[in-house]
Amino acid sequence: MSSSDSRLSGSPSLLRTVLFSNEFALLVAIVLVVSFTGAVDSNHSYFTQGYDSLRDISRNVALLGIFALGAAVVIIAGGIDLSAGSTIAFCGVVCSSIMIALAPAASKSGQPVGALVITLAFAGTLLTGFFVGTLHTWLITSIRLPPFIATLATLVGLRSFARALCEYSTLHALNSKSSQIYVNDPVFTYLRQNVWVSVVVFLVLALVTWLVLSRTVLGRHLYALGGNEQASRLSGIRTENIKWAAYVYSAMTAAIAAIFYVANEGVAVPSNQARGHELNAIAAAVVGGCSLAGGIGTVPGTLLGAIFLRVVIDGVAKIIKTNADVYEGLIVGCVVVLAVTLTQLRQLLASGRQLFGGVRGLLAIPTLSITASIVALITLGPWIGLGVGVFTLVALSAVKIAEVQANRS
Amino acid sequence: MPAEPIIAIRQVTKRFPGVVALENVSLEILPGELHAICGENGAGKSTLMKILSGVIADFEGELLLGGKPARFRNTRDAEAAGVSIIHQELNLVEQLSAAANVFLGREIRGWLGMRDDAAMERAATQLLRELECDVNPRTLAGNLRVGDQQLLEIAKALSLESDILIMDEPTSALTESEVSRLYRVIERLRKRGVTILYISHKMDEVFHLADRITVLRDGRTVKTLNKSETNAQQITHLMVGREIEAIDFGAERKTGEVLLKVSNLSLAWPGHARGYRLKDISFELRRGEVLGFAGLMGAGRTELLECLFGASEIRPQGTIELQGRPLQLRHPVDACREGIALVTEDRKRLGIFTAMNVGQNISLCTLDRTGSLGVIDGNREWQMANDVSQKLAVKTAGLTAAITSLSGGNQQKCIIGRWLLTEPKILLLDDPTRGVDVGAKAELYRLIDKLCRDGIGVIMTSSELPELLTVCDRILVLSEGNHTASFSRAEATEHKILEAATMGRKPAA
Repeated sequence: MSSSDSRLSGSPSLLRTVLFSNEFALLVAIVLVVSFTGAVDSNHSYFTQGYDSLRDISRNVALLGIFALGAAVVIIAGGIDLSAGSTIAFCGVVCSSIMIALAPAASKSGQPVGALVITLAFAGTLLTGFFVGTLHTWLITSIRLPPFIATLATLVGLRSFARALCEYSTLHALNSKSSQIYVNDPVFTYLRQNVWVSVVVFLVLALVTWLVLSRTVLGRHLYALGGNEQASRLSGIRTENIKWAAYVYSAMTAAIAAIFYVANEGVAVPSNQARGHELNAIAAAVVGGCSLAGGIGTVPGTLLGAIFLRVVIDGVAKIIKTNADVYEGLIVGCVVVLAVTLTQLRQLLASGRQLFGGVRGLLAIPTLSITASIVALITLGPWIGLGVGVFTLVALSAVKIAEVQANRS
Repeated sequence: MPAEPIIAIRQVTKRFPGVVALENVSLEILPGELHAICGENGAGKSTLMKILSGVIADFEGELLLGGKPARFRNTRDAEAAGVSIIHQELNLVEQLSAAANVFLGREIRGWLGMRDDAAMERAATQLLRELECDVNPRTLAGNLRVGDQQLLEIAKALSLESDILIMDEPTSALTESEVSRLYRVIERLRKRGVTILYISHKMDEVFHLADRITVLRDGRTVKTLNKSETNAQQITHLMVGREIEAIDFGAERKTGEVLLKVSNLSLAWPGHARGYRLKDISFELRRGEVLGFAGLMGAGRTELLECLFGASEIRPQGTIELQGRPLQLRHPVDACREGIALVTEDRKRLGIFTAMNVGQNISLCTLDRTGSLGVIDGNREWQMANDVSQKLAVKTAGLTAAITSLSGGNQQKCIIGRWLLTEPKILLLDDPTRGVDVGAKAELYRLIDKLCRDGIGVIMTSSELPELLTVCDRILVLSEGNHTASFSRAEATEHKILEAATMGRKPAA
């Protein structure tokens, strides 16, 4: 027996497991997307500006990945944290507010604010994350709100709170009310110009999260809690404390991400910084194999999920070039549906359930065809649009007819 | 054969991951008869009923309805064909009224297709009156007594004008008067020409009601007999498949000092008419003793064990002393620390972690002991899980196999193993053999006996009286949250226990 056999976290046949794993599929998908983008992009920027492309993608992956790890931990524990985007905006304002409050003159003139102020600002930011996570846990365990509701409330509430705080602190520290706070300190400039810092922070966090999830009692309890909360409690697990760990971790990764968001943009903008990004983090975790039902998910999966998502978004930007951000949501939505469908395709086919069964299935065919057609029409021109629409309609109808035939026999 | 069977199955096989629930089962039900299906837990009765009622749609073999092959894709298909089922665990939406439950999914519509509540309430009243059930159709289903809830399900079947009614152990939660009312209802249904399939393992019921009896064992049909040709001994014999080994599991077991002393334990039940789930329960458990709690469904057995494990929603009143020391049990963690272990009743919902493998399911409670500083030592964990799974002879492809690939009995062994690793002083077993096949049951009994001889105190409950009579040194009876009787092993009989279990409130107190 090899040593991996004597570990319960190991699996019976390594090669088989690797080849059929979600992680391997994602790796293949990433390679495919990058190759496709490299080939189709008319500027061939992956070849001509390889270093810049790699840097951009790395920065974006790190920025998303840091709090996607938090989202994954909460999802594994059977919860959901919708608030990450707003927590980032709020923590960004807290961070910059501490700096302008403690060093107003230096902040105004763009001088260094000093190591002490920076340390205090970072500590305050992390502490804010800790308190946001604790608030979530209190709402969920004591008030017994469903996690969706609790974090939906802070998703809405914290962004507004951040704007109010921003106006207040700019008025009192800088004597002029503003809806954003500029940060010109050299430490933040350094963070912006040296992408490796965010990448290293992300990788270290990923490593730590992976070790905790796979090698510690806390990690096993997180999986147990997500898999069966009642049974966990009846097994003598303090489920409230495990939830606390999960939600605090999620909010604190958002706080760390907030520092990089502010550094990257040189400004804290509470009205739209990281707006909607919590959904990207959840998408990265889910594409990476985390089950929203809880109890299932891995760090390598989430890491690859984040890379995959950013590579796809980058690919869209490279190929479409102008106004690519308009399509970002559309592409992310499609990719999430496709990725999760593909991971469940085997069960779907084994269950014998029809893809286009009944009236609902029938109506899905024109809906999908028209959508595909319009997307192709807008991006690639009317004739291609028509072609794509007809092709989709014919292909899906063929599937439907095959299903009807199979059902009859 | 005098008549064409109204419903029949031929050579039906149903496999679940790891177990064959039914193997080549054939059965013919004649129109208008009351056909009893008997078998031990795990014999495949429930699976068979799920196939007949369309809950399970994919199986091998043939289903014939009035001589023609049929295939139910779901319960709606089955209902449309006139087959209704009343599950042991009732399927009511507790937040809806009685009338709304009767017509759920087939609401009566009136003007402009709007829901006609008044018509449904009138119709429901009519149906319920036929069933001697005198409840207001506007009462929420959740507020009804279990017996009335069951009649509500029967009313639902009647409103569907079903020709075939399947009843799955319908008396398991009923008091004696409710049982006799149910018998009268069944009589009336038969006069209307309804064919009834009656699942039970209680011989007196079966012989009171049935025309014909089919015995299932280990997923196979053993025999179908006319009632007149057989007797209870023969059926029991067929169900078990061999003479029940007359092992006296308690023989020469010596009990030691008092481990646990419970005095005046009460558990409130806010918002319920009775006001309490448990009232003034007092008892002692000695080292090396098996104490059994008997009672009908809803008598408070599970609640009592939850109190002893610190797992009840509300904190109970009264005192619990362990070896003379009063305990404060606020959370299961406290109970674990004191050496109390609970094997829960509903294994799927409260016991196993389906996303984890066999070994992880076993090691869950003792991860702290594998390493230090909260880090799991994988080798040590494997070692511990492996030792206990071999000691309990868990049949599994390996520790990394999925827990769901194991049979019910082996899953139960894993959970018992999980708790044995914590080296408990007291083991609480809540209906430990539910859904466990006959062979594995005897193994579990032997295991309980061995643990007692090792000096553990065991408290167990069971929905099957013979089991308690086999295993326990003393049996206490609960009825509607009251402690109504105590019997020593020598005194206890099924009859005495049933009498105490249906007594309701204690006459004197």
